[in-house]
Amino acid sequence: MTQPFRLGEGGMIDRTQPLSFRFNNTSYQGYVGDTVASALLANGVHHVARSIKYHRPRGIIASGPEDPSALLTVMDAHGTTPNLKATEIPLRAGLEVVSQNHWPSLQRDAGAMLQAGSKLLSAGFYYKSFMWPKDAWHRYYERIIRRMAGHGEADISPDPALYDKRNIHCDILVVGTGPAGLAAAKTAARGGATTVIVEQDHRLGGTYLSGDASDRDIPQDAEQEFRTLSNVTLLARTQAFGIYDHGTVMAVQSRSGSAARAIMWKIRARRILLASGAIEKPLVFPGNDRPGILLAGAARSYVRRYAVKLGNRAVLAIACREDRAATRRALQDAGIEIAAELGDGDTLLGTTGRARLKGVTLRRSNGQRERLACDLLCVSGGWSAAPHLFAHAGGNLAWRDGLGLVPQGAHPLIAPVGGARGTFDTATARNEGRAAAHQAMGELLMHVPMPSNLPSPVPPARDVIASGHGKAFVDLQNDVTRTDIAQAVHEGYDDIELVKRYTTLGMGTDQGKASWVNGIEEIARVIGQDATDIGHTTFRPPYSPVTIGALVGAETGRNMHPIRRTPFHRAFERANSVFQTSGDWLYSRYFPQENEDMSTAITREVNAVRNGLGCVDMSTLGKIDITGPDALEFLSRVYCNNFATIKPGRLRYGLMLREDGIVFDDGTIACLTPDHFLITATTANAGSVWRHLQKLAQVEWPNLDIHLTDVTSHWASLAIAGPYARELMQALRPDFDATREAFPFAAVRDGTLGDDLPVRAFSVSFSGELSYELNVPAGYADALFNRVMAAGAKWNITPYGLESLDVLRIEKGHLSIGTEIDGRRTPFDLGLGRMVSDKKDFLGKALLTRPALQAPDRPQLVGLKPLDRTQAIPPGGHLTHEALTGSVQKICGNLTAAVHSPTLGHSIALAFLVNGQARVGETLWVVSPLAETSVEVEVVAPHFYDPDGARLHV
Amino acid sequence: MLLIPCPNCGARDQSEFAYGGLRAPLPPLDASIGDWHTAVHLRSGEMPVREELWYHACGCERWIVVSRNLTTHEFAPKDAS
Repeated sequence: MTQPFRLGEGGMIDRTQPLSFRFNNTSYQGYVGDTVASALLANGVHHVARSIKYHRPRGIIASGPEDPSALLTVMDAHGTTPNLKATEIPLRAGLEVVSQNHWPSLQRDAGAMLQAGSKLLSAGFYYKSFMWPKDAWHRYYERIIRRMAGHGEADISPDPALYDKRNIHCDILVVGTGPAGLAAAKTAARGGATTVIVEQDHRLGGTYLSGDASDRDIPQDAEQEFRTLSNVTLLARTQAFGIYDHGTVMAVQSRSGSAARAIMWKIRARRILLASGAIEKPLVFPGNDRPGILLAGAARSYVRRYAVKLGNRAVLAIACREDRAATRRALQDAGIEIAAELGDGDTLLGTTGRARLKGVTLRRSNGQRERLACDLLCVSGGWSAAPHLFAHAGGNLAWRDGLGLVPQGAHPLIAPVGGARGTFDTATARNEGRAAAHQAMGELLMHVPMPSNLPSPVPPARDVIASGHGKAFVDLQNDVTRTDIAQAVHEGYDDIELVKRYTTLGMGTDQGKASWVNGIEEIARVIGQDATDIGHTTFRPPYSPVTIGALVGAETGRNMHPIRRTPFHRAFERANSVFQTSGDWLYSRYFPQENEDMSTAITREVNAVRNGLGCVDMSTLGKIDITGPDALEFLSRVYCNNFATIKPGRLRYGLMLREDGIVFDDGTIACLTPDHFLITATTANAGSVWRHLQKLAQVEWPNLDIHLTDVTSHWASLAIAGPYARELMQALRPDFDATREAFPFAAVRDGTLGDDLPVRAFSVSFSGELSYELNVPAGYADALFNRVMAAGAKWNITPYGLESLDVLRIEKGHLSIGTEIDGRRTPFDLGLGRMVSDKKDFLGKALLTRPALQAPDRPQLVGLKPLDRTQAIPPGGHLTHEALTGSVQKICGNLTAAVHSPTLGHSIALAFLVNGQARVGETLWVVSPLAETSVEVEVVAPHFYDPDGARLHV
Repeated sequence: MLLIPCPNCGARDQSEFAYGGLRAPLPPLDASIGDWHTAVHLRSGEMPVREELWYHACGCERWIVVSRNLTTHEFAPKDAS
């Protein structure tokens, strides 16, 4: 088709660049510069949608994001995107769009018969109708009604498009580029302020674009100037959708024909000039929703900007005389015959036509009725300010007749100018923009203070065009009629917030941009109050819908969270490690040989540690270096156990409590010199312990002379564990004496291995075997691993991962963060009561003495063994006095860990059992309703292996 | 998205900070259980200006004490140390 309704000349479209697109499987043509809406109208397509509830034919009413009806689904290489406004989609080659919410087709929609039963679907129908018989709503009606009502369908396939986020700072942000915004931006840019300009349209100019040709040159010239200025960032197709604290404005930039589909801009501005303009008010009259009825401003835009001849014969019902004259001029220039114009006192009685307007019935002020044939009706009840972003930032709005909701009072960062504050006159708006920019620069000390002192806007003179009785839509997107509002008020929902929620007035994807002012007037009329007194609902971001993809940005899949790799990662890859995430870390899980499965590998690894030699990565432990004369005093306050007599070269186990006496973390405290210590924190708490110590040092005890350094990532740490660990230690040729007497358990040595590899060695053990943790500077990780593997080959040294580490520590009864130390346990609960010092004061001491934390019936850590050693204790089970009954059971404890112990040859578990320490020897049941198993168990001490620690000193 | 005054780094975006809660100075370690209970668990809920702790985690790692007006988000820095 060849655009039968395109004018031969004029407009801001490029006739040399035709574009083909498809709407509901029919091919059409448009031009570069078109939106989908203007291209459809140029092809004479007005009927593009069905309404949400009554399935009435709907057309294109507006030319911007305020359009309530023309919601379409766009299909492209990225998948399908529903509910995009035809007025906002720039036309591009090969675009495929379809209409929504109809069956079987847009033209013949079975749902339209709902209009016959529309009484059943009036406001709040889902609270009243379809409620019988009992449960029928959930079982039948809801499903059907949800299918019948609504907008487009979400595409549930993954979105392959790219999205990104960017930050920008500026002195002055200008939102909108109509007359006020453009003047403000020019003034700020020329004044030398770093200026960001955002415009929701793909072209600058706002209402200039629907004016005469001379008007349309103004934004083009300005754009040229902005592009040459280095202090200006110009963002077109960018919707500022919310203002947040301290000058933060979030804006989303839509892009087509580029790798990234949308960019989320986080703009931090010192001053914001809000030139977001005004929105034209539709008229509410019977049959006001037929395709072919457009807002007058939109009609001028389609004619002037897009060179679209909207129809052949038009009726004008426009309240402001200047707008009426401008519309008349525009339509006549396009060769559209004006059938009639309504003026003061005239009444719109109704319209005819189905998928397209065919005629208008009206009554003149002298009482004479007229029936006019026409295919275009341009309506306008005047303009109302769009200060949504001002309200987001906490600014107050007040109702003024003829202006709508306008900003009230000053905001320290935001100055509304032009239409956004109710100034609808172009020349005045320009002056306001300039003055506000000067004032902002004055406030920012960029030039002399220049208070703008803008006068209050004056409502323009308007004719009153009345409405007859009949079905008249206030909110086209949600099919809310005047009757619905009256009914809501009649039923007692007489507060504006209640009317909104009961009728859905002003909800949906347009958030009532075009309907809300009529809504307020209608509610005020029905309640019998002044519109100034009924208030307004809260304006919240986003101003216009933002795609989830833009909010998420690039942080999807593997990019969702940074991955930390330990210094041994490469070496472990070569050793055939299977990795798993553990917090931020990608940690070795186990090291399978050939076709080994995980449990076989774990058994082999554990046996190697118990009987020979293994090695494991300990680099993820938090390591904090503490120096200064008060270092020991600081640590003494932080840990609950006493180590006042610690000597250089020795280390102690340390238990750290929170202020409220609950166990926070455990680790080792190594004394390097009397005023130099190195402590470790658990992997999971490495960050929080560091933060905690920093706070204590900086805020609580600033008088202590200490210095803290986080050295976690400075060191690569490899533990060698097993009966042959000392022989390997010596085989690595340390320059310190590594005999049992000279380097006992719980000691630390600094030196070198093989004369060249700097090392700090700790004799500590998490596995329960003789063990050394060898720390080398992170860059030497490969060298250390290679030497350990080469020297350890004699004892068949076996690298092991997180799984075996866990089995070994459970056999030994060592604690793990998150499982046993879970933020609810006292030292006594964990069987570490003896560690709590009564010789010193420490953090958590006072609140640990609270009676509830000392009560004997608290759950305490115990070990469990199955009576029948062949049975496996189910992980996550509960402790009871009886086997699984299938109904509610009283429990006396819960499991924290359950594994098969290769060393003992049967299943073992750790559990918290009420008063557990006194119940060793009892027989109980572990039940798991999930696994549907019960295992009879014996309560034992939580140390299954080498309870006396003899193997640490072999 | 607040702009938080760091005495070391200047005004910085909230995303660089971790919130540290209301400033509630810890009592001496040998203080009574009652004093500790008050310091750890009881908050005055005073409005609108309150003293808070923020940790400049992605910056200089300094804990800062500021007073913030909860109705306007206006900050007034207080030097912690």
